[in-house]
Amino acid sequence: MKTNFATYIIIILLVSAFSFAFGQYRISGTVKSDKGNAIPLASVLLSPSNKGAKTDSTGKFSIEGLKGKQVLSVSSIGYKLFKKDISLDSSLYLDIVLKPDTRTLNEVTISAGSFEASDKAKGASLTAMDAFTVAGSMADLSLALRSLPGAQQVGDLDGLFVRGGTGDETKQFIDGTLLKNPNYPRVPGVQQYARVNPILFKGILFSTGGYSALYGQAMSSALILESNELPEKSSAYFAIFPPSSNAGIQQLSRNKKSSYGVTLRYSNATFYNSIVKQKPDYFRGPEYIEGDANFRIKTGKTGMLKFYTNWNISDVGMRNADIDSTALRSSYQVKGKSIYNNLSYKDYLTDKWQVDAGLVYSYNEDHTINGLLNIDGQPVNLEDDALNYKNAQKLFRSNFAQGRIVFTNTLSNNQALRFGAEHFYNRDRGFSNDSTLAIIDNLSAAFVEGDIYLAKNLAAKIGTRIEYSSLLNKAVVAPRASLAYRLKDGGQFNLAYGIFYQEPLNEILYRSTDLKFSRAAHYMLNYTKKANNRFLRIEAYRKQYNDLVKTIPVINNEGSGYAQGVELFFRDKKTIKNLDYWVTYTYLDTKRNYLNYPFALQPAFATPHTATIAIKQNFQDINTYVNVSYAIATGRPYYDIRYSADDNACKIFDQGKTKAYSVMNLQIAHLFSIFSSWKQRPVSGFSVGVNNILGTKQVFGYNYSLDGTNKVPITLPATRFFYAGIFMSFGIDRTSDFLDKNQ
Amino acid sequence: MKKLVLAILALVSFYFTSAAQEQGKPNALQNAVTKLDQATKAKDFELLEKEFLQIAAQQKKDWLPYYYAAFCNAKVGFINQDDGESIEPFSNRGEEQVQMAKSLLDTVKQKKELSELYTVLSMVYRTKVFINPMTYGRKYGVLSQQYRVKAQELNPENPRAIYVKAWEMYKTPKMWGGDKEAGKQLATRSLALLQKEQSSIQPHWGKTENQELLGKNK
Repeated sequence: MKTNFATYIIIILLVSAFSFAFGQYRISGTVKSDKGNAIPLASVLLSPSNKGAKTDSTGKFSIEGLKGKQVLSVSSIGYKLFKKDISLDSSLYLDIVLKPDTRTLNEVTISAGSFEASDKAKGASLTAMDAFTVAGSMADLSLALRSLPGAQQVGDLDGLFVRGGTGDETKQFIDGTLLKNPNYPRVPGVQQYARVNPILFKGILFSTGGYSALYGQAMSSALILESNELPEKSSAYFAIFPPSSNAGIQQLSRNKKSSYGVTLRYSNATFYNSIVKQKPDYFRGPEYIEGDANFRIKTGKTGMLKFYTNWNISDVGMRNADIDSTALRSSYQVKGKSIYNNLSYKDYLTDKWQVDAGLVYSYNEDHTINGLLNIDGQPVNLEDDALNYKNAQKLFRSNFAQGRIVFTNTLSNNQALRFGAEHFYNRDRGFSNDSTLAIIDNLSAAFVEGDIYLAKNLAAKIGTRIEYSSLLNKAVVAPRASLAYRLKDGGQFNLAYGIFYQEPLNEILYRSTDLKFSRAAHYMLNYTKKANNRFLRIEAYRKQYNDLVKTIPVINNEGSGYAQGVELFFRDKKTIKNLDYWVTYTYLDTKRNYLNYPFALQPAFATPHTATIAIKQNFQDINTYVNVSYAIATGRPYYDIRYSADDNACKIFDQGKTKAYSVMNLQIAHLFSIFSSWKQRPVSGFSVGVNNILGTKQVFGYNYSLDGTNKVPITLPATRFFYAGIFMSFGIDRTSDFLDKNQ
Repeated sequence: MKKLVLAILALVSFYFTSAAQEQGKPNALQNAVTKLDQATKAKDFELLEKEFLQIAAQQKKDWLPYYYAAFCNAKVGFINQDDGESIEPFSNRGEEQVQMAKSLLDTVKQKKELSELYTVLSMVYRTKVFINPMTYGRKYGVLSQQYRVKAQELNPENPRAIYVKAWEMYKTPKMWGGDKEAGKQLATRSLALLQKEQSSIQPHWGKTENQELLGKNK
């Protein structure tokens, strides 16, 4: 009986529909997966009519009252969006097949050789904040990343020493373009600060090898930084951390389409050094003045234009006992100046095409003054003496410009094709004592790269890069390839291979340009597994160096070397509530024959075993964060290599191994609120910390006198480094609340 | 005349079929809700989510099965809140199911129902924060709070929305406006309101959740 009634009502409905919906049609059909299973609850939407329906348990749907041209879109979680243009002149029945969306179902992303710290991190993946809040990192990204496997603990030098490579073999890139001078000018034996504040970046990709064809001229490692987007609101902050203090604002426009920001930093350690005794006797600073400014503008619907400029001045002068003569002291002063400007633009040309463009101009000036002093601190001039080379001046000015454009075509199944080109212009001029030195180099590169999904759980990234240097008058081709295979349990295997070229350093090029690019080949295998707030990564690699620069007997490209090893990373945020820790272990076996090495040696910056631990505990109830980092490493080799006239070659006169290295850094931060009468209280806090809290005696190597009889250890300028300070940050809108109240 | 007869018959049949549906419906849903009242483990909620989805496929006009399916996903997220990325599929499904349920509600008239639904949506967004508070917290923490506020606006006496607020107050550090005492008071108030509710297929959960929150205050 009931079914009969139902039939009647259908007839009625149909009749009435026909009576007033003349000229309107119906779309019905089924939605199935590519395996033929019905997909229930898929949303079916037609625009511009804006009518929609959900599929039932058998995947069926039906939408009435349609006419004209419509765009049909069908979506369901775990499947790719289905879109179809239809023109209705009769009712339609469609069988729609949805393809699985590999991104959500079985995300295989290529990750051999790289650590990604981004604002998209899930679970125990790293965020940029995780990376640079490691205790002891001193707001220097390179130091922070030393808590990751692959990097060596080199306490006397700045930069990243990755897998048997020198610090110069790691390059930093901001929004695609090169940051040529990331740190303040080098001071022998004393680590220098980074010039760029890491808080500017939302994404950090630390590649310890096998990186993409989009980047080049770094034989070991690329640090690829992605700058922040528009801020969520306007804000201002200041921080006073003697010896440094800084303040900044970020202003978001009213229509939320653009923003600008300015920060200023000043640091002078004179007062600090008068309290905490330093081994070198500083007569200037160390003093650093730094300012940066940025703007970000949304252009059109999808475009983003960003500008960042950073300028800074530094002055460091110190006196040390002279290594060759007890009657003398030597002084060293370096004054640095640099300006960095980065303009980048990103937009979607169509749904499928994206363009990324960047322009950089930077200027860098390093002025070094070496001098010999007598016991009273007066300059001495020892004419015709062998030591007189220590009275020296060097001044280098470098102009650098880069232009870059990359096009990305997004294809189906998460695949993509990228290609582009870039040009680097370097003009370096200077003098060293009486000789003038100059080089102009134009380096051009073109690259292409494809992300290919071979199967649901198998992806490949294949690319190649061509580079030509006008100075060397040589062109090279650098192929890169990596492969990722996803296991059922969520684990993933990655393979990577690549050839990486790098021009010799300026100090070599000033003396000879009849050289080739140096070359490194990387091979690596890695396994990662991320689950339940834990992250495990194991990587094994082999790296082959060729055409390294040798300076003896004449400058040539006959150097070579290798590095191989195993690295381990484990992070756990789950086991103990509010405790986040990671441990790493790095095994490195490397030898190289370069510069003045008489034969292949384990370089002075490399050690076989390194382990690090980074611990962060959040005591939520008392708003206190405790950060501890610990690193331990076996000793590093040191050599006294000098030219021996007897053999007409370089010889090792003395060598040894430093004692094992260990360092523990501690930082405690506490947040509190003052001005509680304000409607929205500013975030205030203080932080105290000690680097090398245990006061372990660290020896990084030895300096030798000219005759090899005197050997002086390279140690920290002071055993421990202390800091304490306060910071306060507030939204600008909130300060106006405060001002209103007090009027 | 014939048309009129047909129309009358149609009206009558409509009345009967919908009445028959009303009668047939509660059994499966009632069974599932009874099981839900006793569920404690993540696995229980995972199984119940599937059961609610099956019911939803049969009772296409009813918002409740989707509502309960979304609630099950929110519960899985809350129970596994220390598991990071593994919560994500549950959060995503929960969000989708809330949208499904919403499409079946008359959002102008069914204020109480919408208040219940927004309460669950608030919880679903909270589970997204658990995926990685540093990267997901800013966006979804704010959304979670916004929907809890909306739920309370729609029905200030909704004990479940009050529970979600109690949870927020209890878990938020003091300097960001959290207050454990206030959280405890809200949970007690929510419990008092729950006392008045009858066990039916309409949303009535909240007792265990509030007690768990209060238990921590002992």
